[in-house]
Amino acid sequence: MRHDLPAIVLFGAAALTPLVIRDGFLLDGLVLILLWGAVSGAWNVAGGYAGQVSLGHSAFFGLGAYSAALLATRFHRSPWLGLLVGALLATVAGLIIGYLSNRLKGPYFGLATIAFSQVLLIVASRWRGFTSGSEGIPVPFRPGFWTLGFSSKVPWVYLILALAVGIYLVARYLETSRPGYQLAGVREDEDAAEALGIPCRRLKVAAIAASAALTSVCGGLWAQYVGFVDPFYVFSVDLSIRFALNSIIGGIGTAVGPFVGSLLITSLETYLRATFSDFKAGLIGIYLIIYGCLLIVVVRFVPQGLVGWLGERLRAVGRYARA
Amino acid sequence: MLELESVTKRFGGLTAVKDVSLRAQAGEILGIIGPNGAGKTTLFNVISGFYAPDGGHVRLDGRDISGLAPHHVCGLGLTRTFQLVKPFGNLSVLDNVMIGALTRLRAVGAAREEARRVIATCRLEAFADSRARSLPIGLRKRLEVARALATRPRLLLLDEVMSGLNATELVEMIGILRRLHADGLGLIVIEHIMAAMMRLAQRIVVLHHGEKIAEGRPDEISRDPRVVDAYLGEEFVLADA
Repeated sequence: MRHDLPAIVLFGAAALTPLVIRDGFLLDGLVLILLWGAVSGAWNVAGGYAGQVSLGHSAFFGLGAYSAALLATRFHRSPWLGLLVGALLATVAGLIIGYLSNRLKGPYFGLATIAFSQVLLIVASRWRGFTSGSEGIPVPFRPGFWTLGFSSKVPWVYLILALAVGIYLVARYLETSRPGYQLAGVREDEDAAEALGIPCRRLKVAAIAASAALTSVCGGLWAQYVGFVDPFYVFSVDLSIRFALNSIIGGIGTAVGPFVGSLLITSLETYLRATFSDFKAGLIGIYLIIYGCLLIVVVRFVPQGLVGWLGERLRAVGRYARA
Repeated sequence: MLELESVTKRFGGLTAVKDVSLRAQAGEILGIIGPNGAGKTTLFNVISGFYAPDGGHVRLDGRDISGLAPHHVCGLGLTRTFQLVKPFGNLSVLDNVMIGALTRLRAVGAAREEARRVIATCRLEAFADSRARSLPIGLRKRLEVARALATRPRLLLLDEVMSGLNATELVEMIGILRRLHADGLGLIVIEHIMAAMMRLAQRIVVLHHGEKIAEGRPDEISRDPRVVDAYLGEEFVLADA
């Protein structure tokens, strides 16, 4: 319980915000913070807990976004069904890429995942008859819970918050359960884990598949929220890197880290985009520079991420206070 | 219980292990010695499933385990340690050992209890909450043994767990291994420290250039002219044993 305190504060604050703030722009920011945190949390299942640092998770995000959008537009099904179909497709994709890249480690695994996301980008942007190709798909707005159409931001806050808490709980499960501990062994030293009776390949592939499925659900909800799916955005390497960076900056392999990273990065980005709009639009790219500098500082000085760093500071203060 | 029949392992043109046959009885301490590059660690890698043999068979209780994955072999009751220790560096000593215990136990709580017992057996209680990477080499070797023990093996392969230990640590390690043996655990021990090996092993197999050149009781081995020849020019002198 004590371990969950930062998350309770974070998610509690998010839950209370719509009661106080009615401003659409700020609530939109909140939804995005929670959503990008949730995707990064999903990425963290493979990248942080299993040590499989993927740079192609936009593949799964895009699969989810397209599944929800296509089921709604082409087959007139509920986007909820789209989430399920997307999760299944992403699980299969995760199993395939996990199996194929099993012997690849470190940067090679990352490169293989980038390639995979780019293959999906080509398919989505060229298969005009089905996916509308590079034009992208507008997701129809049909009001109602079953159709995931809300005219207010408030239901979105709570829906995405539920997703975020769910993904947080998955991460907590990985910190306290048998498969989680075994996965930690695989991440730390695969040979040693094998010798201790842990089926490393199976666990890694399972972690990648679970991570893919969760990422896909996030992608599906994102498509419903934003209302438009652009292949060059949802399958982009930029997006994959964002998923990884939120975790790395917040604290890779920690349950709350991705959300802390997202809080920082997403609010910074939203603020900078808003500040440097209209006549200073030429400066809009400046957030990328700040983003890059922030990353360098974090990796150089707090490689364990903000959560780990803050934890150490707090413990040090605690020791000082007791002494 | 463990039987090797004409096991051969090649790497390209190099035959690291050539036609080696040996048996280890249940509960026995079998020593494997040989100069550097004799193929001892390769032999361990073949037995524990990290390499599939290019020829011959490895049998555990009559079952052919050649080519089975290491985690499968561990499940059958045979585990090994690594010469270059491989602790889960960022985890605590307790978590390291608990991950071993989770191979037999489903519940995390029960595995943690088991890990505490194993840690006590290996005299690591004082370091249970330390990060594994912060331990000095002597304790890391002991952690390596503790973690393997937590998987409840019937046969444990120890790859130079006594090298690099100081005199006190060495005595402690020998004490731990003797107790494990007394509890009925079978041990196959690779070691360079001849004195320790002579005191510990009931039977010794000598490898040289990948081949078995001698097998017998420690006193027989130390008098064997082929063994003395193989070790000629090496830093250790058998007479010291």
